[in-house]
Amino acid sequence: MYASHQDGGASHFYGGGFMPSQATQTPDQAGSSKTRSSTTSTTVPLTIKQITEAYHLNDERADFLIDGVEPSLVRLLGRVLNKAERVTDVSFLLDDGTGSIEVTRWVSDSFDTDEMTKIENGMYIVLIGKLKAFQGKRHIGAHAVRPVQDFNQITLHFMECIHAHLDNSRKATAVPATTSAMNDMRAYQTLNVGTGASGDIRDVVLSVFQEPASLARENGLHVNEIIRRLGLQEQKIREAIEYHVEVGNIYSTIDDDHYKSACNG
Amino acid sequence: MDTSTPAVFVNGELLKLHMCQRVRTVVQVMQNEGGTVLGQSTDNQQLTVKGATSVPVTHFMEVIGVADGPQSIRAEICTDFGSNFDTSSFNGLCKLANGEFKNFYM
Repeated sequence: MYASHQDGGASHFYGGGFMPSQATQTPDQAGSSKTRSSTTSTTVPLTIKQITEAYHLNDERADFLIDGVEPSLVRLLGRVLNKAERVTDVSFLLDDGTGSIEVTRWVSDSFDTDEMTKIENGMYIVLIGKLKAFQGKRHIGAHAVRPVQDFNQITLHFMECIHAHLDNSRKATAVPATTSAMNDMRAYQTLNVGTGASGDIRDVVLSVFQEPASLARENGLHVNEIIRRLGLQEQKIREAIEYHVEVGNIYSTIDDDHYKSACNG
Repeated sequence: MDTSTPAVFVNGELLKLHMCQRVRTVVQVMQNEGGTVLGQSTDNQQLTVKGATSVPVTHFMEVIGVADGPQSIRAEICTDFGSNFDTSSFNGLCKLANGEFKNFYM
């Protein structure tokens, strides 16, 4: 159901195609004057609060981790504020009631311009876009923006945020029945959480310990801080920590719950 | 509009738990006089909305504002949601947003 893209990409706006384990095509607008290249993507419905709390994997790559998933695209719904039109782009602030975020929609042809002409301050809109970060500040590069016409869509969007969170969290915390009997390689192959190339839990956990802010802390980080930041199950994170202790990447400090990187970044 | 403060999803019952806080809800307009709307919440309670914009009677209206009484909201923004709105779904969302999944919204 969610993988269908026969509806001209409308499924991205109306509830389908956001489960990260199913590949979907980016929206291909019917009657559009431009052709959009088809790429495999995951579109995840989110609240802006989830975005502000997302774990930023890599400053250079601007990848984010939310519920153990690196979303290619995000879907947001909220009010438009402070719309500003320029020659090459239209920018505005999107407020969904849980927070606000800057959005930029680059306009390169009449289709883009026409789409943004319909958008006015105070209007509820749904957007599909890419989550980016620059100098620590998060913003959205919008690919498509549509006015909300049926206000039941507001309720639907926030329900879908919860649904996607539960689905992604469930996959991220799937525990094999005989974990103790498996070697480390098999244990991570069974996770199948739909994460990207850098989504290995061990790498992600180690990267947290190797952040400058973490290295600067005398006693390192508490395990609970890692759990809170990554949104993954405690058992999986403790297994990753145990692995890194065994190979010498991190070490315990004041107690069995505090660890610090053995490397200096 | 204060964009720095989140607005909690509430129904009539949950409004009492967020006194003096920024809230958002949907009511069905029953009466509209001089900027004060008497509306029915999605859990069938009567709420008073002060400073509301004019929305036709029987239409659904979203209110974002500050809860200034157990059954009263001082409106900042009102939006006409028309006559087609699923109150039971919104009511369910309010319960989820104040329960297990409140961290998504606040």
